[in-house]
Amino acid sequence: MTQTNGSHLGMKEIERQARLLARENRLAEPAITKVYWFPDEHEVRLVEVDTMVPPSGDGEVHPFYFRPSPQDDLPSPSGVALISPDEDRRAALPEGWGTWNDARELENEG
Amino acid sequence: MSWRSAFLLQARSDYDTREILNTQRVEYCHQLHYLQMASEKLAKGFLTPVASTEPPKMTHAAFVRCLQVIKGRPDIRRALNFSSTQTFSQFVDSLLPLAEQVQRLAPSYAGIRGPNPEYPWQAATHGAVTAPAEFDLPQFDSQSSQMNKLVRLVRDLLRVVS
Repeated sequence: MTQTNGSHLGMKEIERQARLLARENRLAEPAITKVYWFPDEHEVRLVEVDTMVPPSGDGEVHPFYFRPSPQDDLPSPSGVALISPDEDRRAALPEGWGTWNDARELENEG
Repeated sequence: MSWRSAFLLQARSDYDTREILNTQRVEYCHQLHYLQMASEKLAKGFLTPVASTEPPKMTHAAFVRCLQVIKGRPDIRRALNFSSTQTFSQFVDSLLPLAEQVQRLAPSYAGIRGPNPEYPWQAATHGAVTAPAEFDLPQFDSQSSQMNKLVRLVRDLLRVVS
């Protein structure tokens, strides 16, 4: 029971950080049209559609990874990838990120 | 040592070598070569999950894409002493065209037809062969404000990333 509650709280916290990063990233780059969150209990995983970036060239999503930064309200590690509109829901996801059907699109809260 | 740590360690060594060359009377191409290598390995370090037992897959266009992701990071922005998301993103945006040119210095981009800091090339228009050591690479003017800002950004990112 404790573990279930702990996991639930953990996922809520991950989602909070995902939304925080999505807001910041949209603020930094208005050309981001969609933000997908791939739920994971330990890591924030975002794929962002950016009209300013070219396709990766190999059909794969390539996230950049960041360590936790509690002083910035980001106590969990994160992986963030930018993709072109042509790659939206088509590019191959990193191993362990699930499928595009697992993605939850985060609305623009700005 | 993890792949991530190894890429970042090598990137710092490349950058430090660039700094040493900056104080010596050697051809400018060597500084640029080490800057290009440092920036590529910096990006590959960010591309590698902390606990990964595999090297990163992406081999090209990583530096510019890395900067495009970094400009939305509150942790990096704070570590680099920028006061707002907008200020930091505008700063990074202003450097993206030059960062792309640095990225394209890699021989895999430049090939044998384009100026690069490592290998001689042959101009497509008139066929002349040029060695990097005798070419100024003027678009990378070491005295320009943009070049200095980009070099400092690479230096500062290497300082804060782990």
